Amino acid sequence: MTSSDSDVALMLRVREGDTDALRELIERHQRTVINTIHRAIGDASEAEDLTQRVFVQVYRSAKRYKPTAKFTTWLFTITRNTILNEHRRRSRHPSESLDALQEPRDSESAGWQLPDTTMRDPAQEAVERELRERIKEAVRELPEPQRTAVILCRYEGLSYEEIAEVLGCSVSATKSLLHRARLALKDKLRGYC
Amino acid sequence: MSCQTVREQFDHRLDGRLSGHEQAAFEVHLAGCADCRREWEAYASAWQVLARDEGIEPSFGFAERTLRRLNEPRVDIRQWWWRPSIRWATLATTVVALAVTARVGHERMLNKRHAELYARVQQGEYLEDYDVIANLDQLKGGNHE
Ligand SMILES: [Zn+2]
Repeated sequence: MTSSDSDVALMLRVREGDTDALRELIERHQRTVINTIHRAIGDASEAEDLTQRVFVQVYRSAKRYKPTAKFTTWLFTITRNTILNEHRRRSRHPSESLDALQEPRDSESAGWQLPDTTMRDPAQEAVERELRERIKEAVRELPEPQRTAVILCRYEGLSYEEIAEVLGCSVSATKSLLHRARLALKDKLRGYC
Repeated sequence: MSCQTVREQFDHRLDGRLSGHEQAAFEVHLAGCADCRREWEAYASAWQVLARDEGIEPSFGFAERTLRRLNEPRVDIRQWWWRPSIRWATLATTVVALAVTARVGHERMLNKRHAELYARVQQGEYLEDYDVIANLDQLKGGNHE
């Protein structure tokens, strides 16, 4: 295997049960998936668990993957379905965290917040931390599918066309979702930027 | 260019989808319109500030732990609907549904026969009032056909 293998080539190997190819795909896309989930649900440890489920699902659904589809679009679709399932589960069992349903996991398995090496002044750090919290909250508070549209556009750089495909709607509907989300963010983040 | 046109272009400007000419007209309008400039600054900066959330990193050994989960039992729909309580409820619902279907079918058949009889009464084939013969089919051996 070479690092230049395309996602599609790796996926074709995963379809044949090749777990080395899956490992390569995980290493390429784990950060994208975990952050997409983390931004939607807000809990780093649950985001990591759900990210693992996404890749397990990629493996199990590999036979249904068609090489004509862009791999990341397919991956984001599974990711979004996983997030929606989690929201449904939470609304059915509001008091249960996902952790309560799991086997105890390794202590190293929680997601890591990136250390910020640029800040040293504690007051400035506190302001920055509050800003980040407010940003996460503002994104999380957006209704679906505006939230997914924002995450895929702002953080993952997907085009309108790719977002439309993940959301299963038209490009014009995607543009309208993004516009409404941006208006909402403008209000939510007023005074923070 | 009107204020409304400019505001409708906010998204295309943010996503780099304006042509050179459109962008120039956009900037000219903003330079001369304080309201649109204020709106644009708030709109654009709320979008740009999102980048300050740099995200998280998966923890060490993430890929290996994921691979170890490949053989976990599937949590799929069969596991909950195949529970005994759900299974019995499904069976009971099916029996009731079949009974209702059979009953509706029987009533439809009776109505059809009544209609046929009524037509024949209308044609003088029977002398009795329809009310009298209406329930004949429900009587044992009451069917003259
Ligand atoms: Zn204006």
